[in-house]
Amino acid sequence: MPGASLSRWTLTYFACALLCLVGAEALMVMGFGFPGATIEAPETLILVHLVAIGWLSLLMCGALFQFVPVLVARPLLGDELPPVALAFILTGLVILLSGFAGMTGLVAVPAEAMPLGGLLLLLGFGTAILSLGRTLWAARPLTMPARFVVVGLAALAGTALFGESFALILSGLVGGEAALSLLLNGVPLHALLGLGGWLTFTAMGVSYRLLAMFMLAPETERFSTSVVLATGTLTLMLIAAATPFALAAESGLAGMLLAAAVTGLCALGVYGSDMLALYRQRKRRNIELNAVAAIGAFAALLAACLLLVFLLFSGSLPEHVGALTYLFAFGWLGGLGLAKLYKIVAFLTWLECFAPVLGKRQTPRVQDLVDERHAAPWFGVYYLAVGLGTLTLLVELPLVFRIVAGVQLFATLAIIRHLYRARELLNVPPDLRRGFARPHPFWPQPIARKLP
Amino acid sequence: MNDLELDVRPILRHGGEPFGAIMGAVSRLAKGQRLKLYATFKPEPLFHVMASQGFSNEASPLEDGEWMVIFTPVDGERVAVVESSPESPETWPDPAHYLDCTELDPPEPMVRILAQLEIMPEGEVLFALLAREPIFLFPELKLRGHAWVGNFDAAGEAYRLMVRAGGQK
Repeated sequence: MPGASLSRWTLTYFACALLCLVGAEALMVMGFGFPGATIEAPETLILVHLVAIGWLSLLMCGALFQFVPVLVARPLLGDELPPVALAFILTGLVILLSGFAGMTGLVAVPAEAMPLGGLLLLLGFGTAILSLGRTLWAARPLTMPARFVVVGLAALAGTALFGESFALILSGLVGGEAALSLLLNGVPLHALLGLGGWLTFTAMGVSYRLLAMFMLAPETERFSTSVVLATGTLTLMLIAAATPFALAAESGLAGMLLAAAVTGLCALGVYGSDMLALYRQRKRRNIELNAVAAIGAFAALLAACLLLVFLLFSGSLPEHVGALTYLFAFGWLGGLGLAKLYKIVAFLTWLECFAPVLGKRQTPRVQDLVDERHAAPWFGVYYLAVGLGTLTLLVELPLVFRIVAGVQLFATLAIIRHLYRARELLNVPPDLRRGFARPHPFWPQPIARKLP
Repeated sequence: MNDLELDVRPILRHGGEPFGAIMGAVSRLAKGQRLKLYATFKPEPLFHVMASQGFSNEASPLEDGEWMVIFTPVDGERVAVVESSPESPETWPDPAHYLDCTELDPPEPMVRILAQLEIMPEGEVLFALLAREPIFLFPELKLRGHAWVGNFDAAGEAYRLMVRAGGQK
């Protein structure tokens, strides 16, 4: 029974992720990419990949390096791999984005940069999958949340392979009819596997455990959860199975995606009822800000599902796919990410600083590290901005969207300031803090006490 | 005098815990009688327990990685009381302290358990009931030299943890 210890690199991942989030939001304020440019424009590709890889994927990887050992109650295998993966992913991302910039003529970068960036990203995510996968493999039979993570990691591999294929085709290194057809028809598959499979499915699995843990809800495995796992996996398999249709430009593609939309909405519906049950069955009456703020993310997920159904029935999905993606990425995934960061950063910092002296002297509580009263309104502002941003995209008011994105950026910076204050123990009363070394905000120090 | 033979291999193959059967056999031993034990692995943790009971051991490997061990009583050294050993939870005394942490949110159970252990003498046992497996507590227990065993109850709703206070490091 080894248990899990702190992941040294998780906070570095979080810091890089937040930097990308701020960068992406700043680009939106400046009117870079969609909606100023078309959804296929290289500028939009830069924005989308900065959010999907830089913000959301780095956040998820960092969280999983800490969380998978908790899920399976054993230490991470290959714990020298997280910094390697981070270096590959960051370099790959920078090269990929400069490749996109080269497409627009913003900078003079050869077209081959894109497949090189994609290759580095493949290596980076492959390294992460190797480390997490080995840990999960050694812990079979897996609990339900861990199975979600396995499916999510498979979707990540699929997403990265799709991305590299596109990069090869865009740079002209790979040609032919099938390749062109894949580029023209396969983008939704890439996006769905990434946002739906890797990020959403993993976040769903993680949320089952995290929310139950911090709200003291019973952690019994529900039948409904296995329904979510099965229908969600089926959805992702349908999306992956649509690849041959995209390659051959056959008409079956739309049918496959419609079937995936039906099973996917089923999975999300049952998941929603599970989350509702978790909140209802909790033993803690007063829940912490991370659980309150997560409600905004669930509301955004619900709103995104309703919007998807509406757009499908009205036949206007192609025009409004940008608004839908924005709501999904910033409301659901980004909102959940920020909400959970608020707890995880404080918890990891508390463990890092005070675990060695617990019981030996008085230490602050985890809640002493945060200032929920002052942080809570910023989550409200963030969700409000995302909601309004979606509306302005739907009714096509690009200038108003930029103003709202400015509000979103401001709220994000305010939340990051609160994360920094928690990390630096600035909310802890000075007399309780005295004598404890403050940790570096995001650069891991060698762990002073090694396990024997 | 014939040796008393005990084969715990079937118990081990079924994932069972043979310690009870072994202690039962030990209590049936006549004065001076040896115990011949068959196991699927070299039962080194048992050597310590049996030594504390006054037995020397002689282990010989069989085929397929299995082992036969002969425990011989050393005259005059056999003691009635099993000494509490960190490696063998079966030898621990009954818990002296109980903590119900099922209603506490993390990391409060960890704080309470470590605080309680801090004031317990070596060898005393703490029993704690938790709502979930205390993953982050285990490395801390290990660093402080405490031994522990734990599992979920049959319904899978509560985690039962026994910690034997060790020499504080």
